[in-house]
Amino acid sequence: MNITEDMVKEIILEVLQEMQKEGRAAAVQKPEAPALRFREVGEAKPGTNRNEVVVGISPAFGISMNKTIIDIPLQSVLKEVLAGIEEEGLKSRLIRVIRTADVGFIAHEAAKLSGSGIGIGIQSRGTSVIHQKDLAPLQNLELFSQAPLVELETFRAMGRNAAKYAKGEQPSPVPVRNDPMARPRYQGLAALIHNKETQFVKPDMPSVELTVAM
Amino acid sequence: MAYIAGIDVGNNTTEVAVAQLDPGGEITVVASSIVRTVGIKGTLSNARGVIEALDRALAPLGIPRKELGMILLNEATPVIGDVAMETITETVITESAMIGHNPATPGGRGLGVGVTIRLDRLDEAAPGVQYIVIVPGETDFRDAAARISGAMSSGVEIAGAIIRKDDAVLINNRLHRPIPIVDEVSHIDRVPVGMPAAVEVAGPGKTIDKLSNPYDIATLFNLDPEETKKVVPIARALMGTRSAVVIKTPHGDIEERRIPAGKILLVGELRKAEAAIAEGAEAIMAKVAGISPLVEIHAEPGTNVGGMFEQVRKVMADLTDQPAGTIRVRDILAVDTLKPQQVLGSLAGEYSLGNAVGLAAMVETHKLPMQRLARKLEEELMVPSCVGGVEADMAIRGALTTPGTKAPMAILDLGGGSTDASVITEDGKVSSIHLAGAGDMVTLLIDTELGLEDRDLAEKIKCYPLAKVETLFHMRHEDGSVQFFNEPLDPRLFGRVVVLAESGPIPLHTKEQPARIAAVRREAKKKVFVRNGLRALERVAPAGNIRLIHFVVLVGGSALDFEIPKMISDALVEYGVVTGRANVRGTEGPRNAVATGLVLAYAELQR
Repeated sequence: MNITEDMVKEIILEVLQEMQKEGRAAAVQKPEAPALRFREVGEAKPGTNRNEVVVGISPAFGISMNKTIIDIPLQSVLKEVLAGIEEEGLKSRLIRVIRTADVGFIAHEAAKLSGSGIGIGIQSRGTSVIHQKDLAPLQNLELFSQAPLVELETFRAMGRNAAKYAKGEQPSPVPVRNDPMARPRYQGLAALIHNKETQFVKPDMPSVELTVAM
Repeated sequence: MAYIAGIDVGNNTTEVAVAQLDPGGEITVVASSIVRTVGIKGTLSNARGVIEALDRALAPLGIPRKELGMILLNEATPVIGDVAMETITETVITESAMIGHNPATPGGRGLGVGVTIRLDRLDEAAPGVQYIVIVPGETDFRDAAARISGAMSSGVEIAGAIIRKDDAVLINNRLHRPIPIVDEVSHIDRVPVGMPAAVEVAGPGKTIDKLSNPYDIATLFNLDPEETKKVVPIARALMGTRSAVVIKTPHGDIEERRIPAGKILLVGELRKAEAAIAEGAEAIMAKVAGISPLVEIHAEPGTNVGGMFEQVRKVMADLTDQPAGTIRVRDILAVDTLKPQQVLGSLAGEYSLGNAVGLAAMVETHKLPMQRLARKLEEELMVPSCVGGVEADMAIRGALTTPGTKAPMAILDLGGGSTDASVITEDGKVSSIHLAGAGDMVTLLIDTELGLEDRDLAEKIKCYPLAKVETLFHMRHEDGSVQFFNEPLDPRLFGRVVVLAESGPIPLHTKEQPARIAAVRREAKKKVFVRNGLRALERVAPAGNIRLIHFVVLVGGSALDFEIPKMISDALVEYGVVTGRANVRGTEGPRNAVATGLVLAYAELQR
């Protein structure tokens, strides 16, 4: 079957209509996620501190989007990831990768800038990767590929495991669920979110270091 | 010119030697092969493995199976071993007296003593009283830290905290003044409120020293000598942990209980004796040695050990089509071990290492099963087949093809299920013994002691040395040496402890450090092979004296192990015995001894 541009548009419109219906019904239970307040502190530089883990977020994270595909506020996401790192006794550094929206490359960029060589990449919709600087960009230490199945506890565990890799410990990989229905159910929405994400990509821009007010 | 094949069906491997027999009775072994045994040794399902092994040996020679003149099987006095583990002690806590677990990241440092109070009741705290705060699972760490800080600044004296989630460091980092915090207490709702409690956290790499000492506990809680006696098991259970909580409850108690695991009755040729499993392996083996030569071993019916014996009998009865009642257990090997066990009545899913006894039991029956296998092979392959000779006899013949050996000497056959020894005198007389316990027992011990619950993984740990992958470009071996790589390693290996199998490194998903895994592995091998090797040699040595044996040749799969030969050699040096690994026919190493022996013995008969 050939998929024409018109068909894609049609599907997206349908999805949007569905979402609007749902959106109206659910609007009562779903308060808007709190906005994230970032402060840019300049271009992200490679760290030398062996006890740090760098967390890389995607171009639109907290800018045009404030929650993941399953409505977890991005503020809570960051809070949990950073808490997971802190509980293990390590420091975290936050950067925004602007030149790409691909989570593998975001995580790899974070890992390359990290003094420990360990980085985490998180997209706005929740897809995440734990990465190591010596790996190829599309490899990973741990991959959380299905954003609809990445829950709040997963983010805490993600931070914890990344910190453990940085310490040279041997964490058990974070258990990830696998749901074959997640793909068909969320594919349209994921495509929309990713589209939104890529609008903020500026291929020539270096990554910036951030602080965030919680 | 005829071809004959000697086949040795073992517990784990089936080995074949194919030889050319010329009319003058001269024999040359021309091919050999090895495959995994199919089914339990001595059953008809072995035939499939035998045929596969034959095909592999014959393939390079280019001769079809039916041109074989004779197939010779080992007369394995069929031995089956079964291994089982009996836990003999367990730790029971009544009424939440302690939490002694090891969360990976406790918070703060030092010792705090006070009365337990819930976080949401802090505003009711009385002045001048020291408190230990209980933080339930639903509380966010920021919230908890803010409330504790708030209470501290309004004058409440907080000495420590017990919390549900993995938040100890997070909370502690947010307090004005650090306090010892123990976290990941899964049953926080069971922690009693309003009771005197002590929380202790040691620095990284250290262990607690106050709560692991009964007299310090007595000092903290003003205990009288009678009460102090009762806290001894608590202190003992807390030894070696990095953090602990002890709560004084009116009836709180902890005890170590011995589990009745059953008794075994040892029947010797001259005497009888009874041994309780709960007495431990040392006591059992001392009795076994005292009674030997053993005729039979019974187990108390209706107990765990009785169940294990019943299982061995049933398998053997099915194998040989004999009534289970006529099957007799001839030998056992008992080994002391430790088994991680959940503490009953615990608050945080604590584990303690309970004592356990590993048992390997062995049964002997008649040579019937091998004859049935020979008949089946004859039908399937249309080649005359027979049982060629007693295994131990054949093994020593095969071992004697090792360059540089001659009778008199002894062999130790280190297999999967049993450890066998035989001695050949100058005039060619052979005496031999089969004992329970070998490679499979080692696997069981590794599995239990490391709490793996994965036999395949334990098997891998047994067979290969360990290393730790420190970066993608280098790993540190268990002896401390470092190996570098030009190409990055698989990301799945990053940071992991791996076993270095022939196929490449395999990651182990365990929290244990390589040093501990290696120690458990070596200890298990020593407990089984060194002990059994000495036990077996004593039984076949002239006058029961190992010193009268001068040469011991190691054969069998476990002789290929990377450390067992050295362990046995070290143990035998004390008796002035020279030990070495066989090199059957100068090419096979310690493998193929029985198969080779079978064809050699057949040729001798033809002459």
